Amino acid sequence: MLEVQNIHSGYGSVPVLRDVSVSVNPGEILLIVGENGAGKSTLLRTIGGFIRPEKGTVKLNGVDVTGHAPESLVRSGLRLVLDGHRVFPEISVYDNLRLGAAARPSNDKAGFNAAVDNIMTVFPILKEKLHNYARDLSGGQQQMLALGQAFVAQPKVLLCDEPSTGLAQALLPPILNFLKTWAASGTAIIIVEQHIDIALPVADRAVVIERGQVKISCAGKDLKAELQKASEARAASGLPT
Amino acid sequence: MTAATLQNAPHARQNWFTSRIGKDATQLWLGVFLIIATGLAPDLLDSSYWSHAFQLVNIFIIASICQNLLLVDAGQTSFGNGAIFGVAGYAAAIATTMHGVSYPWAVVLGLIASLGASVLFALPALRVQHFYLGFVTLSAAVVLPELAMAFNDFTNGIIGISLNFETLHQRSIFGVISPMSLMIALITSVILIVHALMRRSMLGRRMRVAAESPEAAQALGISPGVMRSLAFIIAGLGTGVAGVIYPMIVGFVGPTSFNLDISILFFFAVIVGGRGTLLGPILGVWILYLLPNILLAEFVNYRLIAYGLVALLVMLLLPDGIVGGYLNWRHKKQHGGKRLDLNVAAVLGTQSSALSKAADASAVPAIEVRQGRKTFGKVVAVDNVDLTVRHGEIHGLVGANGSGKTSLLNVFSGFSRLNAGSLHVNGVDITSLAPHQIARLGIARTFQTPRIFGSMTLWENVQIGRDARSGNSKAPIPESAVEKLRETLGEGSPDWVPHGQRRLLEVMRVALQESDIMLLDEPAAGLSPDERKQFGALLQQLRDQYGKTFVLVEHDLDLVWGIADRITVLDAGRVVASGTPDEVAGDPAVRHMFIESSHA
Amino acid sequence: MIEEFGIILVRGIGLGAIYTLVALSFNVVHSSSGILNFAQGNMFVLGGFIAFAMSSQVEFGPWMWLAVIPLAGISIALLLTFQGWITLLPLKNSTQQNSWIITTMAASTIIGAVMLLLKGPWAQTATSPFTPFNVLGTRTPAPYILAMIACVFWYVALRLFLTKTLTGLAISALSQDLEAARAAGLRVRRLQLIAFAISGMVIGTAGYIVAPIISIAADTGIKYMLNGFIASVVGGMGSDIGAMIGGPLVGVLSMFAIYQFGGHFQNVVSLAVLVLVLMFKPEGLFGRTSARRV
Repeated sequence: MLEVQNIHSGYGSVPVLRDVSVSVNPGEILLIVGENGAGKSTLLRTIGGFIRPEKGTVKLNGVDVTGHAPESLVRSGLRLVLDGHRVFPEISVYDNLRLGAAARPSNDKAGFNAAVDNIMTVFPILKEKLHNYARDLSGGQQQMLALGQAFVAQPKVLLCDEPSTGLAQALLPPILNFLKTWAASGTAIIIVEQHIDIALPVADRAVVIERGQVKISCAGKDLKAELQKASEARAASGLPT
Repeated sequence: MTAATLQNAPHARQNWFTSRIGKDATQLWLGVFLIIATGLAPDLLDSSYWSHAFQLVNIFIIASICQNLLLVDAGQTSFGNGAIFGVAGYAAAIATTMHGVSYPWAVVLGLIASLGASVLFALPALRVQHFYLGFVTLSAAVVLPELAMAFNDFTNGIIGISLNFETLHQRSIFGVISPMSLMIALITSVILIVHALMRRSMLGRRMRVAAESPEAAQALGISPGVMRSLAFIIAGLGTGVAGVIYPMIVGFVGPTSFNLDISILFFFAVIVGGRGTLLGPILGVWILYLLPNILLAEFVNYRLIAYGLVALLVMLLLPDGIVGGYLNWRHKKQHGGKRLDLNVAAVLGTQSSALSKAADASAVPAIEVRQGRKTFGKVVAVDNVDLTVRHGEIHGLVGANGSGKTSLLNVFSGFSRLNAGSLHVNGVDITSLAPHQIARLGIARTFQTPRIFGSMTLWENVQIGRDARSGNSKAPIPESAVEKLRETLGEGSPDWVPHGQRRLLEVMRVALQESDIMLLDEPAAGLSPDERKQFGALLQQLRDQYGKTFVLVEHDLDLVWGIADRITVLDAGRVVASGTPDEVAGDPAVRHMFIESSHA
Repeated sequence: MIEEFGIILVRGIGLGAIYTLVALSFNVVHSSSGILNFAQGNMFVLGGFIAFAMSSQVEFGPWMWLAVIPLAGISIALLLTFQGWITLLPLKNSTQQNSWIITTMAASTIIGAVMLLLKGPWAQTATSPFTPFNVLGTRTPAPYILAMIACVFWYVALRLFLTKTLTGLAISALSQDLEAARAAGLRVRRLQLIAFAISGMVIGTAGYIVAPIISIAADTGIKYMLNGFIASVVGGMGSDIGAMIGGPLVGVLSMFAIYQFGGHFQNVVSLAVLVLVLMFKPEGLFGRTSARRV
């Protein structure tokens, strides 16, 4: 579904990613982990069209979409949810959802309503606050809204940057479960996440990025063992693990 | 260039003036030639129409050069320089006609008036920038003609003031050249040369740093406000020179002499000709003012349309202006893909330093924070931190995002101030000093995004550090190494070096600042593994040979553990552990932290 | 004395309403793209020029005059959209983010120069189809009152548009979080052009309505633009409610200055207000973002 090959990317003259390749299939969740500053967000932003890569290609469904603007990628079915639960604060919850649907392929009101109903069943709090300003929501509720905004666009590929930022840990499981069900409907999902223990159970595959390069790529269930191996190697050379 | 070729670099002393001007030399001489040729040729050809036209053109060039300085070197958007021009012209004319002051003295009064006007422009510039400043100065340009009408007791209102300088227009020099043409051509040339020299002077470099990055300027001990005010005063005086000559050429000043159009001309001439280039203002004034004159001499009204259309087209097609566009094209053609491989370590040499670490471990710590606390609203960024950085050590500061590392670095360099607690450097309390004051005490810093300025040469990028040297370093970089570095970098462009080497340059800049304490904010971000090694080695070299102290905020734990003498681990604004790399790595609290989060 | 006070107050508020309209038209473009259109003043005068052209061609009554209002708005909206398109062109590559200061200034110069060429340096005045009103015991030319009505109309219309319609919400979204808007797939460029068009509707109708009380000339526009900007800064840049307050404040002050010191001092007083506000309260009365970027 999404194939990212040999990406080199960065900000201005500062390179961040060196030769990174990842891919994700329909119905699959790929978890990307790594230290701060390793380049996880840069990778998602490059795929999402916010940064034009210096080298490498991004293919969506076999079509080369490298360097396309975010607004056109959304129309091709690739949606990035930025980190920091960014919704439009001075706009109501319902209107935030309407804006999320702005990129829907056709003008089908029924499909939109069904998607909104779906969202409100999963996150009942959004139904309760449907006509409140988004700024009145808590961080976790805003993250639910941000995901809902992406959901109503019904993308084929969803990129989700740090859904846990600024959220109480207890709020994470319902959000991740939602992503799990979403993927099951055939959507390809990439999650970048700090809280590896909570996110790992929903991940089919995992990738570790270190200093702008892919360090480990494995099945989700093997990640712990791979990390353990790596940290033993580090400990052997006298470095903090 | 390798170290070997460095040894053989030509050491011939160039002539002082040429080496001063550097790569601008061609443009400068061409500019001076054009100004003098066009200023005198019409006299020689006995064309009083063109004599008059080029006298005006040349003083407009003076004003545009000043606009160029203000806009590019100092980064100030002013749409109202015509007002300064007008104030000077009016003041001189009023002094000489109404009060019988001789014109030389009237010129002095006119210049004083232009100085006053530029101070009025500089005041809002201390508070606001960008389009806000554009609007303020634009208002000033609109208001001046209205004021001239309002104070008609002094200005004769719409009738204006007439003056007579007939004798100066006589072609009395060798019977062919008028003193007026000669004087104007010379003054314009001198102003162009002054601008060229200023760009390569310490003041010019400082101005450009302040314009491009106020934070970097402060870290180099430069006060951006002072630079801005100076720029307004210098540009205002220059514009005043043009302004006091204006009545001598035209023999008249009135409200219509100084309407908004003239401010627009000065501004657009710089844009059209090429921002920041020496020839730009000359070409700009010719195209905007002269072209309509030649093509459409009878339709003076078309001139305004030409201003607008040409400026718009240039902005769309050649955003850097005509000269700028040409220079870019030539630069690409000559140097496209050019790479300069720096070997900074070789430049520094393997001088065996008298500074052994043991000798330098003086009792007074380099940096000492006691009970430091910094809050942003409800967020506690730095929470009762006690931290000591010793002289001559590389001190690593590590922790997760939001743990307070960068906040602490900002406190050390004065960019933010502690809410409580104290901060001492070399035993001096600096808790409440401004960044540029702290910088002058010998504390330098770098930023997360490297502050390498594309408008300067590679050497100038390092030289701005040298400009700011405190002069009280215990172990300054020797002159021979500085000279070597200057030759290696020379007139090279920052485009020639990749990001990794820019980081090295930045460190060299702060090293030449002769600061004994250097604060580095995530310097390894974006470096390749090889570049990281090179970078680490440079820090160690600077520590071992010159006794420099480093505070290193960095995510790359391998790098930190590889080169740091001591490490402090922060979590949620608190110090979790502090000590040698081994001690810290063995600390259970730290092990716990990194196992949990380092790979997640 | 009471009568003079009435004139200053009523006409000041009317004049201020014009400034508010300019400020409102600034805000809609500024919030969608960060651009402050320096050509806005001349667009305003062009709106007035339409009124002048109509009134000098045909004898027309109040109904006819009212019917032409939308026409004036649409004409200027088209022109401003075109200008917006040109202004946004160089912004595609990220290195020239400030090019709009120059391109809009150039557009302003071109429009002014064309007017100068077509009509000469002499100011024109349109005639009003309405007789003066009697307000607070003073005879007030109708356009002052109409400006106040237009001001309230556009304020309400903009509020409704920006909070109720999907397009309007999308334009608001741009100003609230541009990145999130792009991530959501909103077509940024198209929305910005729509904002330019709306700005044109506001400024075009404003110019048309108040044509009889302004001098329609090449150098008038810039003064109204500056005063509109000052109203915007006083109220708080980007705030529509701020513009509603800031405009009349500046208007009454201007009128007082004209009355007290003479017409030549009107803009000096405005400039002084601008500098004082920027020096001491750069965020204005209702501002969200500060002007101070030092």
